[in-house]
Amino acid sequence: MITRRALLANGAKVAVGTVYYGTLVSFLTGCGSSSDDDTDTDKPIVEVLPGGLMVVNPVMCVGCRRCEIACSWSHGKSAVSPSTARIKVAKNLNFGPHGVQDNYEDQRGEQGDGTIVPSTCRQCDVCMTVCPQEAISINETTGARVVNDSLCVGCGYCADKCPQQVITIDKITRKSLKCDLCEGNPNCAQVCPTGAIKFYTWEDAVAEVELHEKYLALV
Amino acid sequence: MSNKFGGWAGYVLRVNLTTGLITKETTETYHDYIGGMGIGYKVLWDNHADGIKATDEENRLVISAGPLSGSGAICSARTTITSRNPVIRNHLITDGHFGGHFSPELKFAGYDAIIVEGKSPTPVWLRIEDDKVTLEPADSLWGVGIFDTFATISKLMGQQAQVAAIGPGGENLVAQSTIQTQGGHSAGGHGSVLGSKKLKAIGIIGTGTVDIAESTTNEQLRALDDHILGIIGANNNGVVPNQPQSWAEYSSTTSRWRGGPGVTWGAADTPVILEETPWDDRQKVAMRTSMAESYFGREEANKIFKRPGGCHSCPIRCFCEIKNPKMKTEYKLPTENITNVCLGFLDPWYAMGKPSHGEKRTDIQTVGGYYMDNFGIWSAYGQLSHVMREFTARSFWEILLPADEFAAINWAQYADLDAHFMQDFYTRIAYGASYEGSNILGRTLGRGLHNFINDDGELYHLEDILNEVESPRMAGLTFALESDEHYEFYGKAYSVFLDSHLKVFNRSMVGGVHHASESAGQVGALLNTVFNRDPQCHSHINLINCGLPWAKIAEVAESMWGPGAFDPVKHYTAMNTSKAKFAKWCLVKNVLHDSLTLCNWMFPLLVSPDVEKDYLGDSSIESQMFSLVTGVKTTEQELDDKAETVLQLHRALTVLQMNEPNQRDNHDVLAEWVYDLDSDKAFGDEGTIKMDRDDIQVGLDMFYAEMGWDNATGVPTRATLEKFKLGYVADKLEGLGLLPA
Ligand code: SF4
Ligand code: SF4
Repeated sequence: MITRRALLANGAKVAVGTVYYGTLVSFLTGCGSSSDDDTDTDKPIVEVLPGGLMVVNPVMCVGCRRCEIACSWSHGKSAVSPSTARIKVAKNLNFGPHGVQDNYEDQRGEQGDGTIVPSTCRQCDVCMTVCPQEAISINETTGARVVNDSLCVGCGYCADKCPQQVITIDKITRKSLKCDLCEGNPNCAQVCPTGAIKFYTWEDAVAEVELHEKYLALV
Repeated sequence: MSNKFGGWAGYVLRVNLTTGLITKETTETYHDYIGGMGIGYKVLWDNHADGIKATDEENRLVISAGPLSGSGAICSARTTITSRNPVIRNHLITDGHFGGHFSPELKFAGYDAIIVEGKSPTPVWLRIEDDKVTLEPADSLWGVGIFDTFATISKLMGQQAQVAAIGPGGENLVAQSTIQTQGGHSAGGHGSVLGSKKLKAIGIIGTGTVDIAESTTNEQLRALDDHILGIIGANNNGVVPNQPQSWAEYSSTTSRWRGGPGVTWGAADTPVILEETPWDDRQKVAMRTSMAESYFGREEANKIFKRPGGCHSCPIRCFCEIKNPKMKTEYKLPTENITNVCLGFLDPWYAMGKPSHGEKRTDIQTVGGYYMDNFGIWSAYGQLSHVMREFTARSFWEILLPADEFAAINWAQYADLDAHFMQDFYTRIAYGASYEGSNILGRTLGRGLHNFINDDGELYHLEDILNEVESPRMAGLTFALESDEHYEFYGKAYSVFLDSHLKVFNRSMVGGVHHASESAGQVGALLNTVFNRDPQCHSHINLINCGLPWAKIAEVAESMWGPGAFDPVKHYTAMNTSKAKFAKWCLVKNVLHDSLTLCNWMFPLLVSPDVEKDYLGDSSIESQMFSLVTGVKTTEQELDDKAETVLQLHRALTVLQMNEPNQRDNHDVLAEWVYDLDSDKAFGDEGTIKMDRDDIQVGLDMFYAEMGWDNATGVPTRATLEKFKLGYVADKLEGLGLLPA
C-alpha cells in the first residue's frame, strides 16, 4: 500500500494542467480519503491550475489575526469579523483544531502548547461539486474556486461540506463567503507579520501542507 | 445596530446581578467620552454614592471596548475595566486593562461595554452569544483556577468563546486580584469586585461584524495600515535595535527591539533563527520585540522561548510563549507552557529576591507566573513582591508573624531560590483567611499596603489591623540594615515612605513607582501623582526609550513641548513649562488610548525607524484611525480634547469620591524617599533620580496651569469643566462645596 508520506517521498510532482484524484488530492486538500485506491473515481478530483495554495506554517503563526482582518477588509463592505473572513484563526485559536479536550494543556492552541493552526482554503473542488446552483466555478487565471454572488442562494451546502470548514454564509447578505485568492495577490499574506501565511505554488505547497497536517492531529 | 457611525457597536449591556435583569441601552450617550475608559468614568460618575467600598453591592464595574477595537486598526484590542479599587486608599476609582481578543469579540457580539451592578446571591457567569445574554449558575466553577475556568466555559460555548474570569483570589475578596482573559492577559485591581458580586466569568461569542463607516474604502484602511507599518518600531516603540544590525545607523540597550542575530525561538518545534530584522521587512515585524530576552536572559530565552504572542490585530507581539518542561516534571503543574509579559514574570522574581538569569530564575518566573495567573493575583506593579522581598531582607516577617506561622513557612526554600516556594507563597495570598494557620503573611500581602500603615508610613501590628481592632498597636519596626547606615534615618522607626527599595511613589494613594521620576524626571513624577493608581502610562516611555540618540529625542521633545522638555535620564534640570506640557500630553494620550481602546504600550508614535523620514513618526495616527473607522472626521486636537474631557472627569470624580477639595495636599503627594535617596547627591546631579521638594511644588503649579486646575487645590475650575462640556460636574462639585471659588 502506498502511504501518503511514501508517495510524497517518492517524489510525486504536481503539474499544472493535470487532473488529479485519489491519494495525492486528498492529501493536498484534506478532502477525506482514507483509502489509497487511486482508481476510485468517486473521490474528489482537483484540476491543478496556475496559482497555488495559501498555507499557514503553525510554527510561525503568532495568533494576531491580522490575516482575518485583512480578508474582511478586502471583501465587499468594510466590516471586520471572523465570520466574514475566509481564513479562520479564531476557531482553533484557544484550544486547537479539536476543541476543548480534557488534556487541553497538551493540545494545540493558546491554552495548550501555544501552537496556533489557522485554516485556509485549499482550493479543492468539493464546494464546487456540491453547489446545487452551480454558483462556484474556477477562475482560470488564479486557479481559485470562486462564488458567483448572483447565482448563490445561501443554501450553505458548500459550507457544510467544506473539508477545511473555512466557508461561511454571510448572515446579512446570505451569500457564501469563500477564499478567492484576492485575484492572485492575497491580502492575508501581505499583512502577516511573520510570513507564516504564504501563497505557494502547488509544487511547493506539498511540503507545507504536510507540515500543516501534522498540527491538525490530536496530540 | 446603529447605522449612523462606524466603529461603535451601538449598545451597552447592563447586567443587574441582584435582580437578574439584563438590559440594552444605546452607546450614543457616551460618544462624547469616546468609549473604553470614558464610558467607565461616566458610568461611575452618574452612579456615585458616598463612602462605598469597592466590594459593596452599590459599586459598579464597567468592562468596555472603544470604537476602534475589533475594527482591525493596529493594536486596538485592549479592554478597559473601571471600578472602585480596594488596593487604593479610600477605594477610589481606577481603570485596569487587558489585551487579548476579548473586546473585539464583545464588539462582534454587538456591544461596546458591559455595566455590572448589584450582587448575585449565588455564583453565576454571564453568557453572551450575540443577542442571547443569560446568567448561568457557576457553583461548580467557584474555587476553580482561571485556566480550568476558561476551559470549562469554552467547552460549554465553543472554543471561539473569549472568556474573562476571576480566580480564587477574586473570589476570596483578595484586594490584589485580577480579571483575566486567555493568553496571559490580566487587568489589575478589580478581581475582588467581581468576587463580591459573585460573578465568576463572562464568555462571549460574537458572530456579527464591526462595521466601518460607509464612506471609508478598503484601500484607505490598507493605506493607513501600511503607513503605520512604515513607522512603527518594536514594543514601547523602540525604533532602533537593541544590538547593532547592518541596516541600522543606531543601536541602544534602552530599546525593546531585541529580535536580531543570536536570538532563536528555540522551543519552537522547528527552532526559528531570527537573524537581522530590518525595519522595512514587514514580515518580520513580529520578530522584533522578543521580550523573553529581557526576562530570562539570552541563553535561557533561546532554550525556552517558543514564539511571541499578544493581542488581536497587533503585529508587535510583546507576550512570550514559554515552554519550560520542568514545570511539569519537577513542579508537578499540569502544563509546561506559559504565556505572559512584564510583571507576570517579574513579580515572582522580585518576590524571591531577584536572582540573576539562569535556570533558577527561569523556574521562579514560569512556576510563579503560573500560580499568579491561575489564582488571579495582581502584583500592583511589583508592590506585592517589593514588600515580600524587602521585609524578608529586613527580617521583619520574624517580628510581624506569629511564631508558629513563621516556623511553618519554608524559608530555607526561599533562601535557596527554590521555585517550589511559589506554590505556598501565592496560595497564601489567594486563599487569605481560609489557608492553613493564621496566614498573616498572605492576608497582609493580599490586602494592599494602605490598610497597614499610619500617616507617616509606619506599620501597625498586622494582626490588629486584620482583626479590625479599634486602636491597633504599632509594629515597632526600625531601620537597622547596614545599608541604611549612610541615611540619616538609620535607627529611626521604619516607614514605607522612606524605604526606596519598597518604591511607594504616590504617598497619598500608596501607589507604586511606575515610569515615574526614574524614567523621565518631573514628567514621570507628575503623571504618577494625578492617577489614583500608577497611570500605566507609556506615552513618555515610547519616546524616551525609543533608542535614538538623546539629541534627537530632545529635538523631537522641543518641537512638541518647547525647550528643555526632556532631560537625559538620571540627569535632571529644574522644572519648566515645557515639562508640564509634556506631562499633560502624556496623560491625554494615555486616556485617549484607554478610551479608543488602543495600546498605550505602542502608541503614540512620535518617532520611527525610518532614516528617510529623519526618524520622525506621526502623532495623528489615532485621529486618522478614528476618522476612517467611525466616519466622524476628527482632527488630532479634537480627539485629544475628547480625551481630556475624560481626564478632567477622572480628576473631578476623585475629588467627589475623596470628598476632598484639597487635592494638592491630600492626593498629589510623593513619598519621602523620592526626595531623600542618594544622600551624597543633590537633585540635578548626574546619576540620581532624586527629586526636589520645592521643584515638585513648582511642577504642580505649572502642571495645574496647563490642566486648568486651581493652583491652591489642584481641582478643575468651573471654567475648565465647562470648556469640556462638564458643566453638570461643576454644578455637583459646587453644591458639595468641592469646587474652587
Ligand atoms: S496574520 Fe499570520 S501570524 Fe497573524 S494570525 Fe494570521 S497567519 Fe498567524
Ligand atoms: S504591544 Fe503587546 S499589549 Fe500592545 S497590542 Fe501588541 S501584544 Fe497587545
